[in-house]
Amino acid sequence: MSLIQARGLRKSFRTGFLGRRVEAVRGVDLDVREGEIFGFIGPNGAGKTTTIKLLTGLILPTAGEAWIQGVPVSDPRSRQHLGFLPEGTFFHEYLTGAEFLDFHARLLGIPRDVRRQRIPELLQRVGIPHAADMRLRSYSKGMRQRAGLAQALIGDPDVLILDEPMSGLDPLGRKDVRDLILSLRDEGKTIFFSSHILADAEVICDQVAIIVRGRVVHQGYLDALLGQELSGVELVVEGIDENLFEQVQALAQRALVQGSRFQFEFDDEAEAEKALDWIRSEGGRIRSLVPRRRSLEDLFVEEAKKETHA
Amino acid sequence: MTAGANRIFVIAQNTYREAVREKLLYNLFAFSTLMILSSIVLAKMHLGYDERIYYDVGLAAIAFFGVLIAIFVGINLVYRELAQKTVYTMLAKPVHRWEFVVGKYAGLVSLLALEIGMMAALFMLVVWYKDTQFPIQLLYAIGLIFMELVLITAVALFFSSFTTPYLAAMFTVGLWIIGHLLADIRDFGNLPDAEGIRPITQALYWGLPNLDRLDLKGPAAAGQVIELGTVLSRALYALLYSAMLLIGAVALFQRRDFR
Ligand SMILES: Nc1ncnc2c1ncn2[C@@H]1O[C@H](COP(=O)(O)OP(=O)(O)OP(=O)(O)O)[C@@H](O)[C@H]1O
Ligand SMILES: [Mg+2]
Repeated sequence: MSLIQARGLRKSFRTGFLGRRVEAVRGVDLDVREGEIFGFIGPNGAGKTTTIKLLTGLILPTAGEAWIQGVPVSDPRSRQHLGFLPEGTFFHEYLTGAEFLDFHARLLGIPRDVRRQRIPELLQRVGIPHAADMRLRSYSKGMRQRAGLAQALIGDPDVLILDEPMSGLDPLGRKDVRDLILSLRDEGKTIFFSSHILADAEVICDQVAIIVRGRVVHQGYLDALLGQELSGVELVVEGIDENLFEQVQALAQRALVQGSRFQFEFDDEAEAEKALDWIRSEGGRIRSLVPRRRSLEDLFVEEAKKETHA
Repeated sequence: MTAGANRIFVIAQNTYREAVREKLLYNLFAFSTLMILSSIVLAKMHLGYDERIYYDVGLAAIAFFGVLIAIFVGINLVYRELAQKTVYTMLAKPVHRWEFVVGKYAGLVSLLALEIGMMAALFMLVVWYKDTQFPIQLLYAIGLIFMELVLITAVALFFSSFTTPYLAAMFTVGLWIIGHLLADIRDFGNLPDAEGIRPITQALYWGLPNLDRLDLKGPAAAGQVIELGTVLSRALYALLYSAMLLIGAVALFQRRDFR
C-alpha cells in the first residue's frame, strides 16, 4: 500500500500587486510505500516545500488529490499518525525544549505518564538532552532543527514528512540525522524527506523523486535512476612532460595541474583510452582512474536544461 | 474532555502562556495601572469639588486600556502564529482549523478577563478606600466593558484571518470608533434632508456592532439605578455578535493557505 500518495497535484500562487501567477507545483504524482525512505530531491525553488505543504494540508491544491494512509489530506484525520518537520525552524521560542514537546504531545492527546517518559527519551535521541530546560530562543540553529525532529517524533508516528531535515547541521549533525532516519526505518516507519543535497539521498534512500520546476522528472529506485551509465572517467597521472600534457589536454574536457600530478576528465571513454596508451608508452605513472557515474547532479542539470528548452 | 475540546484548551493555554512569558501583559498592565492611579489623582486635584469624577475617570481608563490591549495584543498574538509560522507544526497534526481559531480566541478572552479583573480590583480598592462602599452599578459597567472587549477581540480575530496585522488593527480601531457613533449616524440619516443616504445609515446602524449598547459608564458613574436584566440582555447581544464573527473567521481560515 502507498502510505503517501499524490495524483496530479498542482498549486499556483498569485503574487505581487498584479497577481502574477507562479506555478509552483505542476502535476505531481507520488507513491511512497510502507517502510521505505523516500527522498524528494530538487534544486531551490523546485516546489518541494509547496508539495509538502499540500501533503500536510497547510495549503489547498489548485488541482489534484493526495492521501496519507488512504485518508484524503483535506481531512485532519490523515494527520493522526503523521510526524512533520517544517522547513526552517519556526517554533514557539518562549517555550523550553521540554515544554515545546509537551505542548505538541498534548495537542495529540498523549497521556501525561507517556509524555513524562517519552520527552526525555526523545531529547536524548536527537542529541539535546542537556537543553530540556532551555528556552528555544537560546537554541542554536542545529539545536532547533533537532528539537523540531523530536517534535515530529513525539506522537510515535507511522509516517514522517521532513522538509530539509539536514539543513543547518554540521557534518556530524547530518550524519546523526541520517542515522536517525535509518533507525526509524528499522522501526518500520515510512520516511519522506526533501533535500537539495544529493549526497543525502544517495546514501540512505530507497526511492527518490526528482522534482524540477514543479514537475517530478524521475521517480524510482536510485540504481535504476542513475544506472551504470558512465558519464566519463577521471584520470590522475604523474611523471609526464609538458609536451604530453598538452597532447592529453587536447583530448580531455578538463585538465588540472596539481604540483607533480595531473588530473584529466574525459566525457568520452575512447578518448580516455587513447590518452592512457600515450601516457603508458611515455612512461607516465597512473595514480588513479575512476569512472564517473552519472550523478544526481548531472540529472538535475540535464533536466533543468530540458525544461528551459521546452 | 473530548479530543477536540482538549486541543482547544491546549492552544488557549499556550496563548496565555505566550502573553505571560513575553511580558506583553505585564507591560500593558503596569502602564494601565499607572494611568488609572494618576488619572484619579489628577481628577481629584483639579475637580476636587465633585467626588464622583473619579468614577468616570476610572471606568474610562479601564475601558480604554482594555480596548487597546484587546486590539493590539489580540492581533499580535494571532499574527505571530502565522508570521512566525508556528502554526505549521500545530495544523500538521490532527487539529481542525476551527479548533485553532476557537483556541486562540479562548486564550485571548481569558487574558482579557485577567486584565479587566486586575484593573477592576484596583479600581474597587481605590473607591473603597475613598467611600468605604462600592456601588454595584460600577461592577455592571465593568462587566459590559469586558463584553465589549470580548466583541472587539472577535472583530480583531475576524480581520486577522484574512488581512495583514496593520490593516487588521486599523479596521478594528475603525470599527470600534464607528461602533460608538452608530446612534449619531442613524440620527444623521433621519434628518429630513438625508433621505438619499438613509438606507446606508440604517444598514450601518443595524449591521455593525452597536458598542454604545455596551457602554453604561455614564449612568453608572452618575449613580443611576441599572437593572440586572438590562445588563444581561446587552451581554447576550455582545455574545451573539461575537459568535457570528467567530464563525466568519473560521470560514475564512478554512480556505486560507498557510504560506
Ligand atoms: N507563498 C508563495 N507565494 C508565491 N510563490 C511561492 C510561494 N511559495 C513558493 N512559491 C514559489 O513556488 C516555487 C517553489 O517554491 P518551494 O518553496 O516549493 O521550493 P523548494 O523546492 O522548497 O525550494 P528550496 O530548496 O529553496 O526550499 C518557487 O518559485 C517559489 O518562488
Ligand atoms: Mg523548500
